[in-house]
Amino acid sequence: MITDREVLSTLEMLRSEHLDVRTVTLGVSLFDCAHQDPAQFCNRVRSKVARIAGELVKICDEVGLRYGIPVVNKRVAVSPIAVSACFHSPEEMAQVARVLDETAMEIGVDFIGGFSALVEKGMTLGDHALIEAIPEALASTRRVCASVNVASTRAGINMDAVRLMGKTIQRASQLTADADGVACAKLCVFANIPQDIPFMAGAYLGVGEPDTVINVGVSGPGVVRKAIDRARSANPHLDLGRLADIIKRTAFKVTRVGELIGREVAEKLRVPFGVVDLSLAPTPNVGDSVGEIFQSLGLKSIGVPGSTAVLAMLNDAVKKGGVFASSYVGGLSGAFIPVSEDLNIAEAAGRGILTLEKLEAMTSVCSVGLDMVAIPGDTAPETIAAIIADEMAIGVINNKSTAARLIPVPGKRPGEKAFFGGLLGEAIIIPVSPHNGSTEFIRLGGRIPAPVQSFSN
Amino acid sequence: MNKTVISVLGYDKPGIIASVSRILSDHRCNIEDVSQTILQSEFVGVFVVTRPDDLDEADLLRDLTSKLEPMGLSVVVKPMVRQQEWVPPPSEPFIITTTGPDRIGLVAGITEVMARHRINISNLKAVFRGGDEPMRNIMIYEVDIPLETDQHAFRSDLCERALELGLEISLQHRHIFEAIHRV
Repeated sequence: MITDREVLSTLEMLRSEHLDVRTVTLGVSLFDCAHQDPAQFCNRVRSKVARIAGELVKICDEVGLRYGIPVVNKRVAVSPIAVSACFHSPEEMAQVARVLDETAMEIGVDFIGGFSALVEKGMTLGDHALIEAIPEALASTRRVCASVNVASTRAGINMDAVRLMGKTIQRASQLTADADGVACAKLCVFANIPQDIPFMAGAYLGVGEPDTVINVGVSGPGVVRKAIDRARSANPHLDLGRLADIIKRTAFKVTRVGELIGREVAEKLRVPFGVVDLSLAPTPNVGDSVGEIFQSLGLKSIGVPGSTAVLAMLNDAVKKGGVFASSYVGGLSGAFIPVSEDLNIAEAAGRGILTLEKLEAMTSVCSVGLDMVAIPGDTAPETIAAIIADEMAIGVINNKSTAARLIPVPGKRPGEKAFFGGLLGEAIIIPVSPHNGSTEFIRLGGRIPAPVQSFSN
Repeated sequence: MNKTVISVLGYDKPGIIASVSRILSDHRCNIEDVSQTILQSEFVGVFVVTRPDDLDEADLLRDLTSKLEPMGLSVVVKPMVRQQEWVPPPSEPFIITTTGPDRIGLVAGITEVMARHRINISNLKAVFRGGDEPMRNIMIYEVDIPLETDQHAFRSDLCERALELGLEISLQHRHIFEAIHRV
């Protein structure tokens, strides 16, 4: 027998705390689509993705209805295009992106990820072509997401690739100057990219993954925040140890929801179930913010001293609860702090409480990195590259994933607002150190060697 | 051995189950199932017992009544139906929850839809304390929806009825509650 409390607390989570499944992402391998003729490759991609993922949206909606838990986003992640389309020129790669975009639209998914390359140790012809194609590919499509892994703990940091990504980001921004550089909102530069991320823009299907797989992103921060608020109002004397336990229990619940829904969708699609990604992903809606959790834990705003400690505790408690709830945890699994996608974080950045430097510090203890950070449009490519290099260093040294999703907003200066629309939100442009002091360092190029993994101080 | 169903109803106080079960054991009745619930101040308990062949049901009722009526309790004794008149079809467990302002006819309105779709209620808890506070007026039904039921039609009829009654309704597979709350 289900108890009243179990029913009522579930209803409460659904009705006022945004309990849902953030994303069900279907991975589709494109390696068997490879063909030297780009038109043939595109045809194969279109028909394979449509065949495997054609029912994804319908099935997610059916399963969501059955359990009363909405599946907010349905997405597709494909094998890195730099590998599966390695024969092709940058122009042909951009055409592949357009085909992916059209296919995504036909099957009704909001994003398709995998316009990606893995270049932490060096670049193939396919990698070069893909990175060259990124600005045009992202500017001429709406649903395609790109990612480039430029560093790993085992390989170090490919600084030539980092430099190239600085230029690529500037170029992508200029090509979408009339939309505040929105192309860059669909481009992540990674260190230690996991192979099974269901969240965009980093989702792609890794080379060690099955031909098709379902990965799931769990519910967002609203549920965690409300659980903390409820516990603190019931007992104002709760200390951080007890509050960490509340977060852990809540993460357990949202993970179980994600796994139940994901497994059922996978079964109906006759596709293996992969992982649950435990990340708390905010949306630009009131009550669905990671930033608000900082306030619930006693800080005036995200960004003030204490923020890194709160984020470390939050991230760890989410993992502990989630890992107990599911045997297959993967992806990024932590807390996201995407500036424009979180109303509260965007506001803290707008008021100058949250700076680029504090954000960077916080990324050393959370799962992503400098995410959806709008910077002045005239930021030099070398400066962008240097910010990326710093972020990569945090990931490489700490043996964790980090990423940079930086958006230089053309023609806009610090304090002005950029509008990306929909899930991508809006943000005040954050000032970047104006001294162009990183150029010589970035031009040195080469690869920063892999770090020693003992003597970890 | 014959099976008998006994229900006991009355103002709740300590000692009801003890008294009933003592009488039953004195008559060599074996309790197979027992369940009790308390609604506001009223107790109700239902017992399924096996009765020795030489014990007449009328005698058992007489003894129960004579001892329990002074405690303010009413007793019903009836033989258990031997043959199943209704065999539950293969089905899936769902939970239906409604919240919304109290008024006459909410239970009748919602359960009429269930009955029309041949959906059996396996557990029901409802409280109506009046006013507009949703959590003070709530119905929770555990139901078994036969596999052959047209779930879309049932869901849409149920939602339509809830709308007429001014209720917020949800229909969810039971597994979601187990997944969320149970280790």
